[in-house]
This record gives sequence, C-alpha cells and structure tokens, in this order.
Amino acid sequence: MKEPKTASEPRGVAVPRTTVLNGSETPGNDVVITHEDIDRAHDREQVSAVRARRGFRPRLRLFWLLIGPGILVMLGENDGPSMLSYAATGARFGIGFFVPFFVLTFLMACVVQEMTVRLGAATHRGHAELIFDRFGPFWGWFSMVDLMVGNFLTLVAEFIAIRAGLGFFGVPPSVAVLGALLVLSVALMTHRYWTWERTILGAAMFNLVFVPVALMTHPDWGAVGRAMATWRPLPGGLTQETVLLLLANIGATVTPWMLFFQQSAITDKGLTTRDIRMGRVDTLLGAAFATVAAVATLLATAPLFTHHMSAANFEAGEFAQALQPFVGHWGAALFALGMFEAGMVAAITISTSSAYAFGEVARRPHSLNLPFKQGRSFYLVLLLEAAAAGALVLIPGIPLVYIVLLVNVIAVLAMPPALLFLYMLVNDREIMGELVSPLWANVLALGVVTVLIGAGLLFGVSVIAPNALALVGGR
Amino acid sequence: MEKEFDSAPASEVTREELTAVMTALEPDQIISTKEHHHCPRRQLTRTEMIVFWGLRIYLVFMVGVVVYQIWTTVR
Repeated sequence: MKEPKTASEPRGVAVPRTTVLNGSETPGNDVVITHEDIDRAHDREQVSAVRARRGFRPRLRLFWLLIGPGILVMLGENDGPSMLSYAATGARFGIGFFVPFFVLTFLMACVVQEMTVRLGAATHRGHAELIFDRFGPFWGWFSMVDLMVGNFLTLVAEFIAIRAGLGFFGVPPSVAVLGALLVLSVALMTHRYWTWERTILGAAMFNLVFVPVALMTHPDWGAVGRAMATWRPLPGGLTQETVLLLLANIGATVTPWMLFFQQSAITDKGLTTRDIRMGRVDTLLGAAFATVAAVATLLATAPLFTHHMSAANFEAGEFAQALQPFVGHWGAALFALGMFEAGMVAAITISTSSAYAFGEVARRPHSLNLPFKQGRSFYLVLLLEAAAAGALVLIPGIPLVYIVLLVNVIAVLAMPPALLFLYMLVNDREIMGELVSPLWANVLALGVVTVLIGAGLLFGVSVIAPNALALVGGR
Repeated sequence: MEKEFDSAPASEVTREELTAVMTALEPDQIISTKEHHHCPRRQLTRTEMIVFWGLRIYLVFMVGVVVYQIWTTVR
C-alpha cells in the first residue's frame, strides 16, 4: 500500500489535491482530507475519549457533547408564527382543549424527528441528498421546491416576529431587520459547527422566557391539571376559525424544514449509529422544552380570554401591550423579547436548513465547519435567503398578518409528501441496514401522516364548504 | 456524468490531523468518499408511484384552497 504523502509533511505545507491516502491512484478513488473532515474528526475524538471512560461525569460530558440538533430543531420550531399561534389560541380559547393538544403535537414531532436521527446517523448524508440519490431528480426537485417555498415564507414570518418584537421597544423596522441579519452573520463567523451550535443553543434556551411571563399571570394550576386529565372538547365546536387555529398549531410543531435541518445537522456534527440513543434523548429533551414554552405562551395569553378581550389580528407587539395590565411592563417586555428570540433563532435554523439542502442537491460544499472561501455558496444561500425575506417585510402594505397565519397552515399541507419520503427512506434496508424502522415506529409514523392529511382535508372542507363542518360536529 | 469533487482540500494537514481523521471518522463520513460514492437510485413500484402522485395532487389542490381562502378573505 502506498505510504500517505501527508504523513511526512510538516505543518504549514500544502497538501496536493490528489494526495492519495489509501486505495489506488485513480482520481475516482482518492481520499482528500478537507478542513471540514479535520474539524469533525476533532469533535469525534472528544466523543470517543469520553465514551471510553466510565462513571456519571463522563456520561454527563458525553450527553453535553452529543446534544444539539434535537433541541435546536424543536426550539427553532417554536418560532415567530408558532408563538403567535399559541398566543392567539390562548387569547381566543383559554387552556381547556389546547394544553393536552400541544403535548400531543410535540409527541407527533418526536415520532417524526426520531426517524431523521436514525437516518442521519446511519447514512451520514443530508435529507435532500438522499431523496435525490434514491428517488431521482424528478421527485427530488419537487421536495426541494416544497422546502424552499415553505422556508422562504416561514423566514418572512420570522422577520415579522423580529420586527414586531423589537417594535415594542420602539426599534424601527429597518433597524430591527438589519440588526437580525447582522446577528445571523456573526453567528456564522466562527466557521465551526460546534461553536455555532452552542451559540444558537444558548440563544434558543431563551425561548423559555415565556415561562416567567406565564407565572406572572398567576395561572390556575388546578385548571391546567384538569385540562390535562380530562381533555375538554374544543370550545364552540368546529368552525372555520377553530380549524385554522388547529392547523396553525399543528404546523407550529411539525414542518418539512425540521426534517432537512435535523438530518443535515446530525451529519454535520458527525453523529454515528452509536449516538442514536443520545440523539433520541436530545430530541425528547428538545420537545419537552418546546412544549413547556408553548404551554407557557398559552397560559400567558389566557387572561385575554378570561377578560373577553379580542385578540384577532394581533401581532407580537400588540400581544405584549395587551398583556401589560396582567403582567406589568417587565412581563410585557419579556414577552416581546421572547417573540424576537423565537423569530431570530428560527431565522438562523431555517436559513441553515435551506443552505444545507441547496449544497446537498447542487453537490457544493455544505457545512458550518467550512471557512467562507470554501463554503461560499453555502453561506451565500443562507445569507441571501434571509436578506430577501427581511427585505420583503420592509415593503409597505404587505399583508403581514395573513402571511403569519398561513405559514403554519402551508407547513401542515406540505408535510405528508415530505413524510412519505422520510418513511420510505427510513424503511429502506439498502441504506439503513438493521436500523430500518420497527413495526411500532411505522405504525406511529403512519398515524402522524393520517392525522396531518385529515387535518388538511378538514381545513379544505372548512374553506370550500363551511356548512359541511356540521357533519363532523361543528357549526 | 459523475460530478467533479467540489470540496477544497485542507491547505495543511499534520500527521496528528491525518490520524485523527482516519481513526475518529467512519469511512463514509470523509467528504471525498461521500462525493465519490452516492446511494444508488431505487426503482419505485407501481403502488409507490400512485401514492407519490396522490400526495402531490393533494398538495397542489390544498395550495389552491389556501389561495382561494386568501382571495375570499381579501375580497
């Protein structure tokens, strides 16, 4: 076997592009070591070293090293439009039906995201890349168009939340949008997945700021307990408005970008099949945090329902102002800050999911470990998409409230085709080997698809023939 | 045609880094290996094609419903 040329190279000497480390010398079989490989290898070395040790502290350290994509994707999905949906739901319906409903939707998200953990760890490839490779460009482009359109609309909604959240503090819209773009750019400057992930994780935990706001409203914990135990029916029955809110709340927890993001992030982080268990814990933990934040937002705005205050067409800033009599100025400020954070973190994760997918499909370098020069297309897609969405929000007269409401609805509608690709990939023995989904996972996944299609059809009926809702117990 | 390898090589690689890459990463985690070896395409069965097209039609129809809802609300 040929001796690796690089093995004798001192630091600082460039390695030729055609360096052969093993295998034959034909260009197709060359192994080229990239900057990205080296960074990832360093991260994996730490994981291996910690895994080799026994005891509680090494286990805790391993947990710290491996968590990230699951928490990020779940808290990232608690984004601007999602928090607005939760807030609108609390103000319109109180807590009776929706507290257990939120728990259910996040359990659905866990079922779906667990599949991406296995898929990413088993194949070391992103979701878009696998769809293109296994199903061909025809179906691949369909899924890409779904993703890109959905992501762009969602990004617009994130900038609406950023604008509205900072608007509460008197920040002009253009400054808010430019500031958000600056934060997004700074987060990328580390050119290191690990640093980026930890930074965004820290920011994402700020999503729990809705918890103190909820506590300031002095919620009736007995009522929350009863809601969980009895799951009361939807107040007022099924109407066009309630169906829209139901769909918006489902779309607030399961959306196509989450599949693409978590699988690509797991690949970029370098997780392997040995890390699947921790990946599941990461996802469950993320779902738990996200459920707490969602329920807290519902509880925070429930006083508007109790006092019969109309919150129709409220934006984030208006919710904060309306809550001021119940939570005081600081509570309202925290609520507005939470809306800003929700939009900011989601803008970062969603634009990253687009950039990953673009790189995988265009076969361009795509990793947060890349220096800007090597990952130019990756970083440009990320920044340009965010900049375009931010610019759109600044156009006067754009119907912002419609966009926010419909973003989650569109996410629910686009989910069944996206889930079909995921379902087929995760049951594909040729790429998954022994890690194909067990029967129980398939039953749960098909259950989620059925719920999503049912919800979509219910929305269709509510729009086209609202009177037909009476047939399913509505008005 | 197989696409050229796009990721640029690291400008400098030490022996330690090389060892780290070859021991810490699984073979199919190395970027150049991934670039050269793509998952083979699978053939869809007739049933799978029907489900794919069914969901595609569902999506197009439902997007039409959303557009209709926006139109009626704006009007």
